Amino acid sequence: MPLDTSSYSLALLRLDGRRWNELRRIHAQISTQAAADGSSYLEMGNTKVICTIAGPAEVRRTGGGGSDAEIKVEIDIAGFSGVERKKRTKTDKRVAEMRYTIANAFSSSLLTHLYPRSTIQITLHILSQDGSLLAACLNAATLALIDAGIPMTDYIVACTAGSTSSYSSNDESADPLLDLNSSEEMELPFLTVGTLGAGEKVSVLVMETRAQIGRLEGMLAVGVDGCKQVREILDQVVRRHGKKLVNSIVE
Amino acid sequence: MAITITPPRPAAILDPSYPPEGEGDNDDDYFDPDGDLQMAGRPTKRAKTTSIVTPGETITEDPQWMRGHGTYNPPNNTKILATVAGTLTTTNKLLSIRPLRARYAPEIGDLVIGRITEVQTTRYLVSLSSPLLSPLPLSAINLPGNILRKRTATDSLNIRTYLSENDLVAAEVQTLHADGSAGLHTRSTRYGKLRNGVFLRVSGTQGGVARGRRQVFELGDGVDVYLGVNGFVFVAQRLHGRSASASAGSAVAEVAATTYSSQNSHIPPATRWEIARVAGVIRALIESGVRVDEEMVRRGYEVSLEEDMVGGDKEGVGYLGGEKGRRIVRRVVGG
Repeated sequence: MPLDTSSYSLALLRLDGRRWNELRRIHAQISTQAAADGSSYLEMGNTKVICTIAGPAEVRRTGGGGSDAEIKVEIDIAGFSGVERKKRTKTDKRVAEMRYTIANAFSSSLLTHLYPRSTIQITLHILSQDGSLLAACLNAATLALIDAGIPMTDYIVACTAGSTSSYSSNDESADPLLDLNSSEEMELPFLTVGTLGAGEKVSVLVMETRAQIGRLEGMLAVGVDGCKQVREILDQVVRRHGKKLVNSIVE
Repeated sequence: MAITITPPRPAAILDPSYPPEGEGDNDDDYFDPDGDLQMAGRPTKRAKTTSIVTPGETITEDPQWMRGHGTYNPPNNTKILATVAGTLTTTNKLLSIRPLRARYAPEIGDLVIGRITEVQTTRYLVSLSSPLLSPLPLSAINLPGNILRKRTATDSLNIRTYLSENDLVAAEVQTLHADGSAGLHTRSTRYGKLRNGVFLRVSGTQGGVARGRRQVFELGDGVDVYLGVNGFVFVAQRLHGRSASASAGSAVAEVAATTYSSQNSHIPPATRWEIARVAGVIRALIESGVRVDEEMVRRGYEVSLEEDMVGGDKEGVGYLGGEKGRRIVRRVVGG
């Protein structure tokens, strides 16, 4: 197993001083907005996302209500969030794909059949972008959905994994990398992987760059392992919040 | 048929530190924050702490348990997993999880306060902040004149004159539909359109409004408090006749005539003060995460009166927030 840290001594450190298998700092809070049904704030390094949930609530639909709850995702990328100010239109293909990916991922993990004819609205505000945007959105949405008390089979946790050399250099000995920041994302091939819980069930897999097929397995393995770590961190956040809440209630 | 609900009892294989029976509450919502709710087959890593479960956590693999709300059973498996973050409760052999926070789930007999969101030909749709809107049929409200009158086509033409969009109503959950929505009725003099008061919104399934013996009660000098189980609270000027002399026929007719008025009556300043005080007490209770029910509100009201009598502090007589609010809540909880 080449990914075993003990036998794999790597002198190389990344630009921000991390090793190949280290996550950036993840900081998360839940129940940040009292007025929303569920809300969360998540930082993965310098990527900062706010998520709010409205619902499940009955909203008049054009096509008539189905037997399952519908999940709607809204993503708002702040103008100041990136390196340069860029105006994004509502019909931005990239944002549309993220919305679709998130809605799809949660419609399989949430027990939507418990809420027929209703809609669950996930609203994401991106305050700062520094790589792993889709992963941060998925993680923030998971936390907010837990806060909203919407039943789910397990957490959906996500992170990115990349490879140390670009496609064109065709380097056979390229190593996988975990949790890329935006400068790394710009140069290196990477994928976003989201798993259902700590197991190996991959529920989201998005790759927009090119890499040799031989590197894929390593990247995926590192990504799934990263998701396991992310789940542990998010679970701690939920537990700490729950404990605080339970202890503060005077029966 | 008599149904007895025995107090929750631990599973056969138990930690000896489990509190013995007969000690503590025999509420069917057993929850002991310091206790050790450990079951057969349950992971032991968090034995001594507050029992919080999170989604995806295996609660038990023992097939003897039945799964209730907030749990999930993966196909081809006897495992029971949690689907929400909350506290675990056991009722006999039924495992259920009370979420830390969730939307209101209606139950038959609940007093709720709702806002009319839509008026249809023969019914209203009421928002209770539950996942679905709840229908309130025209046949389930008291019409002015005679309560036992038959509904006519004229009544459904005049449907908006009784209640219209954005009106607040106090109602009772009469039926539960298969999809989880609630059928409401207001066929009692205690229920109906709300006016002459202030509305408060309280959230949370733990803390928040607790189901109690009485959800509508009189308080102090001329104030009615409506504690909706769905977390909506209304504090209003006392409605003469609605709660006191509901049985007298003439009073009913008189009440019915003003029941659907949208105009606030004249509320004397003294009553306005009282309403503000009660609302302040409820807000202070919510802020500290204390359950809100008749007993707590009554005690809070009395304590706030005493505070103002003794204090004479500069924080203002009517203001019940901040340090003063916390002081009141501490005294309420302390007994």
